[in-house]
Amino acid sequence: MIRWLLLAARLFLAGIFLWAAATKLPDMATFATDVANYRLLPPALVPWAASAVVGVEVVVGLALLAGVWLRPAALAGALLLAFFTGGLSQALLRGIDLTCGCFGGNDPATWLTVVRDLAMLVPAVAVAWRGGGANR
Amino acid sequence: MRILLQSLALTAAGAAAGLAMNAASPRPARLSEPVRSAAEAAGACKLPGAAGVAPRITVQEATPLCIACSAAFVDARSAVDFAAGHVVGAIHVPPGPVPLQALLHLERFRTVVVYDGDPGSAQAEAVAAALRDRGMTDVRVLAGSWGAWQAAGAPGESGPCATCGTGLTFGGGR
Repeated sequence: MIRWLLLAARLFLAGIFLWAAATKLPDMATFATDVANYRLLPPALVPWAASAVVGVEVVVGLALLAGVWLRPAALAGALLLAFFTGGLSQALLRGIDLTCGCFGGNDPATWLTVVRDLAMLVPAVAVAWRGGGANR
Repeated sequence: MRILLQSLALTAAGAAAGLAMNAASPRPARLSEPVRSAAEAAGACKLPGAAGVAPRITVQEATPLCIACSAAFVDARSAVDFAAGHVVGAIHVPPGPVPLQALLHLERFRTVVVYDGDPGSAQAEAVAAALRDRGMTDVRVLAGSWGAWQAAGAPGESGPCATCGTGLTFGGGR
Protein backbone atom coordinates (compact mmCIF):
# COMPACT_ATOMS: atom_id res chain seq x y z
CA MET A 1 0.00 0.00 0.00
CA ILE A 2 2.73 2.48 0.96
CA ARG A 3 4.62 1.65 -2.20
CA TRP A 4 1.61 2.55 -4.29
CA LEU A 5 1.07 5.75 -2.36
CA LEU A 6 4.70 6.70 -2.96
CA LEU A 7 4.35 5.88 -6.64
CA ALA A 8 1.26 8.08 -6.84
CA ALA A 9 3.07 10.88 -4.97
CA ARG A 10 6.04 10.64 -7.31
CA LEU A 11 3.91 10.74 -10.47
CA PHE A 12 1.80 13.58 -9.06
CA LEU A 13 4.91 15.63 -8.37
CA ALA A 14 6.37 14.83 -11.79
CA GLY A 15 3.17 16.06 -13.42
CA ILE A 16 3.04 19.21 -11.30
CA PHE A 17 6.65 20.19 -12.03
CA LEU A 18 6.43 19.46 -15.74
CA TRP A 19 3.10 21.29 -16.04
CA ALA A 20 4.47 24.29 -14.14
CA ALA A 21 7.45 24.48 -16.50
CA ALA A 22 5.30 24.02 -19.60
CA THR A 23 3.13 27.01 -18.68
CA LYS A 24 6.17 29.25 -18.20
CA LEU A 25 8.35 28.29 -21.15
CA PRO A 26 6.32 30.04 -23.89
CA ASP A 27 6.73 33.39 -22.12
CA MET A 28 9.88 33.45 -20.04
CA ALA A 29 10.03 37.27 -20.14
CA THR A 30 6.77 37.46 -18.22
CA PHE A 31 7.92 34.82 -15.74
CA ALA A 32 11.08 36.86 -15.13
CA THR A 33 8.88 39.85 -14.32
CA ASP A 34 6.88 37.68 -11.91
CA VAL A 35 10.13 36.63 -10.22
CA ALA A 36 11.24 40.28 -10.00
CA ASN A 37 7.99 41.17 -8.26
CA TYR A 38 8.98 38.96 -5.30
CA ARG A 39 11.73 41.54 -4.70
CA LEU A 40 14.16 38.95 -3.41
CA LEU A 41 16.93 39.22 -5.99
CA PRO A 42 19.01 41.97 -7.57
CA PRO A 43 17.44 42.86 -10.97
CA ALA A 44 20.52 41.61 -12.85
CA LEU A 45 20.10 38.11 -11.41
CA VAL A 46 16.35 37.84 -12.03
CA PRO A 47 16.39 36.50 -15.64
CA TRP A 48 19.07 33.96 -14.68
CA ALA A 49 17.08 32.80 -11.67
CA ALA A 50 13.88 32.54 -13.70
CA SER A 51 15.66 30.37 -16.28
CA ALA A 52 17.20 28.21 -13.57
CA VAL A 53 13.86 27.65 -11.81
CA VAL A 54 12.19 26.41 -14.99
CA GLY A 55 15.15 24.19 -15.84
CA VAL A 56 15.15 22.62 -12.38
CA GLU A 57 11.40 22.03 -12.63
CA VAL A 58 11.90 20.18 -15.92
CA VAL A 59 14.86 18.10 -14.75
CA VAL A 60 13.19 17.18 -11.45
CA GLY A 61 9.92 16.37 -13.23
CA LEU A 62 11.63 14.15 -15.79
CA ALA A 63 13.71 12.36 -13.15
CA LEU A 64 10.61 11.66 -11.05
CA LEU A 65 8.71 10.48 -14.11
CA ALA A 66 11.50 8.24 -15.36
CA GLY A 67 12.41 6.90 -11.93
CA VAL A 68 16.01 8.07 -12.20
CA TRP A 69 17.71 9.41 -9.05
CA LEU A 70 14.31 9.43 -7.39
CA ARG A 71 15.27 10.47 -3.89
CA PRO A 72 17.72 13.21 -5.03
CA ALA A 73 15.10 14.49 -7.47
CA ALA A 74 12.42 14.56 -4.79
CA LEU A 75 14.83 16.32 -2.44
CA ALA A 76 15.60 18.94 -5.09
CA GLY A 77 11.85 19.32 -5.69
CA ALA A 78 11.22 19.70 -1.97
CA LEU A 79 13.93 22.37 -1.70
CA LEU A 80 12.40 24.19 -4.68
CA LEU A 81 8.95 24.06 -3.07
CA ALA A 82 10.41 25.29 0.22
CA PHE A 83 12.05 28.14 -1.68
CA PHE A 84 8.71 29.00 -3.33
CA THR A 85 6.94 28.87 0.03
CA GLY A 86 9.52 31.13 1.63
CA GLY A 87 9.46 33.58 -1.27
CA LEU A 88 5.68 33.77 -1.31
CA SER A 89 5.46 34.15 2.46
CA GLN A 90 7.98 37.00 2.66
CA ALA A 91 6.16 38.83 -0.15
CA LEU A 92 2.79 38.45 1.54
CA LEU A 93 4.20 39.49 4.91
CA ARG A 94 5.72 42.58 3.31
CA GLY A 95 2.36 43.43 1.75
CA ILE A 96 3.58 43.04 -1.82
CA ASP A 97 0.68 42.63 -4.24
CA LEU A 98 1.85 40.16 -6.88
CA THR A 99 0.86 37.29 -9.13
CA CYS A 100 2.43 34.04 -8.06
CA GLY A 101 3.80 33.07 -11.48
CA CYS A 102 3.43 29.43 -10.44
CA PHE A 103 1.57 28.10 -13.47
CA GLY A 104 1.73 31.05 -15.89
CA GLY A 105 -1.37 33.25 -16.04
CA ASN A 106 -2.27 36.01 -13.62
CA ASP A 107 -3.27 34.12 -10.48
CA PRO A 108 -2.73 36.36 -7.46
CA ALA A 109 -0.43 35.12 -4.70
CA THR A 110 -2.36 34.55 -1.47
CA TRP A 111 -1.90 32.55 1.69
CA LEU A 112 -3.87 29.78 -0.04
CA THR A 113 -1.00 29.59 -2.53
CA VAL A 114 1.38 29.13 0.39
CA VAL A 115 -0.83 26.36 1.80
CA ARG A 116 -0.89 24.68 -1.62
CA ASP A 117 2.89 24.73 -1.82
CA LEU A 118 3.15 23.37 1.71
CA ALA A 119 0.71 20.59 0.77
CA MET A 120 2.93 19.66 -2.18
CA LEU A 121 5.93 19.54 0.13
CA VAL A 122 4.40 16.53 1.89
CA PRO A 123 4.65 14.08 -1.04
CA ALA A 124 8.03 15.55 -2.03
CA VAL A 125 9.46 14.92 1.42
CA ALA A 126 7.86 11.47 1.53
CA VAL A 127 9.49 10.43 -1.77
CA ALA A 128 12.81 11.98 -0.74
CA TRP A 129 12.64 10.03 2.53
CA ARG A 130 11.34 6.68 1.34
CA GLY A 131 11.87 6.53 -2.43
CA GLY A 132 9.36 6.44 -5.25
CA GLY A 133 7.30 3.29 -4.81
CA ALA A 134 6.50 0.43 -7.19
CA ASN A 135 9.37 0.47 -9.67
CA ARG A 136 12.28 1.57 -7.53
CA MET B 1 25.26 12.78 1.97
CA ARG B 2 25.27 11.00 -1.38
CA ILE B 3 21.63 11.91 -1.95
CA LEU B 4 22.32 15.53 -1.11
CA LEU B 5 25.21 15.69 -3.57
CA GLN B 6 23.13 14.04 -6.28
CA SER B 7 20.36 16.51 -5.54
CA LEU B 8 22.77 19.41 -5.95
CA ALA B 9 24.03 17.90 -9.20
CA LEU B 10 20.44 17.64 -10.48
CA THR B 11 19.80 21.25 -9.51
CA ALA B 12 22.94 22.43 -11.27
CA ALA B 13 22.07 20.42 -14.37
CA GLY B 14 18.54 21.84 -14.27
CA ALA B 15 19.82 25.39 -13.95
CA ALA B 16 22.10 24.90 -16.96
CA ALA B 17 19.30 23.29 -18.96
CA GLY B 18 17.05 26.18 -18.00
CA LEU B 19 19.36 28.64 -19.75
CA ALA B 20 19.07 26.61 -22.95
CA MET B 21 15.30 26.37 -22.57
CA ASN B 22 15.08 30.12 -22.05
CA ALA B 23 17.05 30.69 -25.24
CA ALA B 24 14.58 28.47 -27.10
CA SER B 25 11.52 30.21 -25.65
CA PRO B 26 9.40 32.25 -28.11
CA ARG B 27 9.65 35.12 -25.61
CA PRO B 28 12.89 34.61 -23.67
CA ALA B 29 13.97 36.53 -20.59
CA ARG B 30 16.90 38.68 -21.73
CA LEU B 31 19.81 37.59 -19.58
CA SER B 32 21.81 40.74 -20.24
CA GLU B 33 19.04 43.06 -19.08
CA PRO B 34 18.11 43.57 -15.43
CA VAL B 35 14.45 42.86 -14.69
CA ARG B 36 12.90 45.18 -12.12
CA SER B 37 9.76 44.65 -10.12
CA ALA B 38 6.58 46.52 -11.02
CA ALA B 39 7.05 48.61 -7.87
CA GLU B 40 10.37 49.91 -9.22
CA ALA B 41 9.07 50.60 -12.73
CA ALA B 42 8.46 54.11 -14.02
CA GLY B 43 5.09 55.46 -12.97
CA ALA B 44 4.66 52.96 -10.17
CA CYS B 45 3.88 55.61 -7.55
CA LYS B 46 0.30 56.26 -8.54
CA LEU B 47 -1.91 58.00 -6.02
CA PRO B 48 -5.38 56.52 -5.54
CA GLY B 49 -7.81 58.36 -7.79
CA ALA B 50 -5.05 60.14 -9.67
CA ALA B 51 -5.05 60.38 -13.44
CA GLY B 52 -3.44 57.63 -15.50
CA VAL B 53 0.27 57.11 -15.22
CA ALA B 54 1.20 56.19 -18.76
CA PRO B 55 2.97 58.98 -20.68
CA ARG B 56 0.73 60.63 -23.25
CA ILE B 57 1.45 61.01 -26.95
CA THR B 58 -0.47 63.47 -29.10
CA VAL B 59 -2.08 62.61 -32.42
CA GLN B 60 0.41 64.96 -34.10
CA GLU B 61 3.32 63.02 -32.59
CA ALA B 62 1.81 59.59 -33.18
CA THR B 63 0.72 60.03 -36.81
CA PRO B 64 4.27 59.98 -38.27
CA LEU B 65 5.02 56.87 -36.19
CA CYS B 66 1.96 55.18 -37.69
CA ILE B 67 2.85 56.19 -41.26
CA ALA B 68 6.45 55.00 -40.82
CA CYS B 69 5.33 51.81 -38.99
CA SER B 70 7.88 52.66 -36.31
CA ALA B 71 5.44 52.18 -33.41
CA ALA B 72 2.85 49.54 -32.68
CA PHE B 73 -0.72 50.65 -32.07
CA VAL B 74 -3.06 48.85 -29.71
CA ASP B 75 -6.82 49.38 -29.71
CA ALA B 76 -8.31 48.73 -26.26
CA ARG B 77 -11.96 49.21 -27.24
CA SER B 78 -14.51 46.49 -27.89
CA ALA B 79 -14.19 44.19 -30.91
CA VAL B 80 -17.27 45.83 -32.46
CA ASP B 81 -15.78 49.31 -32.14
CA PHE B 82 -12.47 48.03 -33.48
CA ALA B 83 -14.16 46.54 -36.54
CA ALA B 84 -16.01 49.80 -37.19
CA GLY B 85 -12.74 51.70 -37.46
CA HIS B 86 -9.24 51.81 -35.99
CA VAL B 87 -5.72 53.13 -36.49
CA VAL B 88 -4.08 51.55 -39.54
CA GLY B 89 -2.15 48.44 -38.47
CA ALA B 90 -3.49 48.47 -34.91
CA ILE B 91 -4.16 45.21 -33.13
CA HIS B 92 -7.09 44.66 -30.83
CA VAL B 93 -6.17 43.98 -27.18
CA PRO B 94 -8.98 44.64 -24.70
CA PRO B 95 -8.24 45.03 -20.97
CA GLY B 96 -7.32 41.71 -19.32
CA PRO B 97 -4.50 39.24 -19.79
CA VAL B 98 -2.39 40.13 -22.83
CA PRO B 99 -2.20 37.19 -25.27
CA LEU B 100 1.30 35.88 -25.94
CA GLN B 101 0.87 36.39 -29.68
CA ALA B 102 0.13 40.06 -29.08
CA LEU B 103 3.26 40.39 -26.93
CA LEU B 104 5.39 38.74 -29.59
CA HIS B 105 4.07 41.23 -32.12
CA LEU B 106 4.39 44.29 -29.93
CA GLU B 107 7.92 43.67 -28.69
CA ARG B 108 9.18 44.09 -32.24
CA PHE B 109 8.54 47.81 -31.78
CA ARG B 110 10.39 50.23 -29.55
CA THR B 111 7.24 52.24 -28.84
CA VAL B 112 3.69 51.03 -28.25
CA VAL B 113 0.76 53.44 -28.45
CA VAL B 114 -2.48 52.40 -26.77
CA TYR B 115 -5.82 54.07 -27.25
CA ASP B 116 -9.49 53.54 -26.50
CA GLY B 117 -12.71 55.43 -27.22
CA ASP B 118 -12.94 57.36 -23.99
CA PRO B 119 -11.25 60.74 -23.51
CA GLY B 120 -10.39 59.58 -19.97
CA SER B 121 -8.50 56.62 -21.49
CA ALA B 122 -9.34 54.26 -18.62
CA GLN B 123 -9.27 51.14 -20.80
CA ALA B 124 -6.11 52.27 -22.57
CA GLU B 125 -4.49 52.85 -19.17
CA ALA B 126 -5.42 49.32 -18.10
CA VAL B 127 -3.92 47.79 -21.22
CA ALA B 128 -0.82 50.02 -20.96
CA ALA B 129 -0.35 48.87 -17.36
CA ALA B 130 -0.67 45.23 -18.42
CA LEU B 131 1.94 45.76 -21.14
CA ARG B 132 4.32 47.41 -18.67
CA ASP B 133 3.78 44.47 -16.32
CA ARG B 134 4.89 42.25 -19.19
CA GLY B 135 8.19 44.10 -19.46
CA MET B 136 7.45 46.70 -22.15
CA THR B 137 9.14 49.96 -21.27
CA ASP B 138 7.96 52.57 -23.79
CA VAL B 139 4.17 52.34 -23.65
CA ARG B 140 2.21 55.54 -24.26
CA VAL B 141 -1.46 56.40 -24.28
CA LEU B 142 -2.89 58.41 -27.16
CA ALA B 143 -4.10 61.78 -25.88
CA GLY B 144 -7.71 62.35 -26.89
CA SER B 145 -8.19 58.69 -27.80
CA TRP B 146 -9.77 57.44 -31.03
CA GLY B 147 -11.96 60.54 -31.28
CA ALA B 148 -8.94 62.82 -31.59
CA TRP B 149 -7.35 60.50 -34.16
CA GLN B 150 -10.48 60.59 -36.30
CA ALA B 151 -10.95 64.33 -35.89
CA ALA B 152 -7.41 64.91 -37.13
CA GLY B 153 -7.99 62.76 -40.20
CA ALA B 154 -5.09 60.49 -39.26
CA PRO B 155 -4.77 57.12 -41.05
CA GLY B 156 -7.57 54.72 -40.20
CA GLU B 157 -9.06 51.53 -41.54
CA SER B 158 -11.97 49.26 -40.69
CA GLY B 159 -12.68 45.55 -40.40
CA PRO B 160 -12.07 42.86 -37.80
CA CYS B 161 -8.58 42.24 -36.48
CA ALA B 162 -7.21 39.71 -38.94
CA THR B 163 -4.14 39.17 -36.84
CA CYS B 164 -5.77 38.96 -33.41
CA GLY B 165 -6.22 35.66 -31.67
CA THR B 166 -4.89 33.48 -34.47
CA GLY B 167 -1.23 34.33 -34.08
CA LEU B 168 -0.76 33.60 -37.76
CA THR B 169 0.12 36.91 -39.35
CA PHE B 170 0.64 39.59 -36.75
CA GLY B 171 1.75 42.77 -38.45
CA GLY B 172 1.08 41.43 -41.92
CA GLY B 173 -1.43 44.12 -42.75
CA ARG B 174 0.88 47.01 -42.15
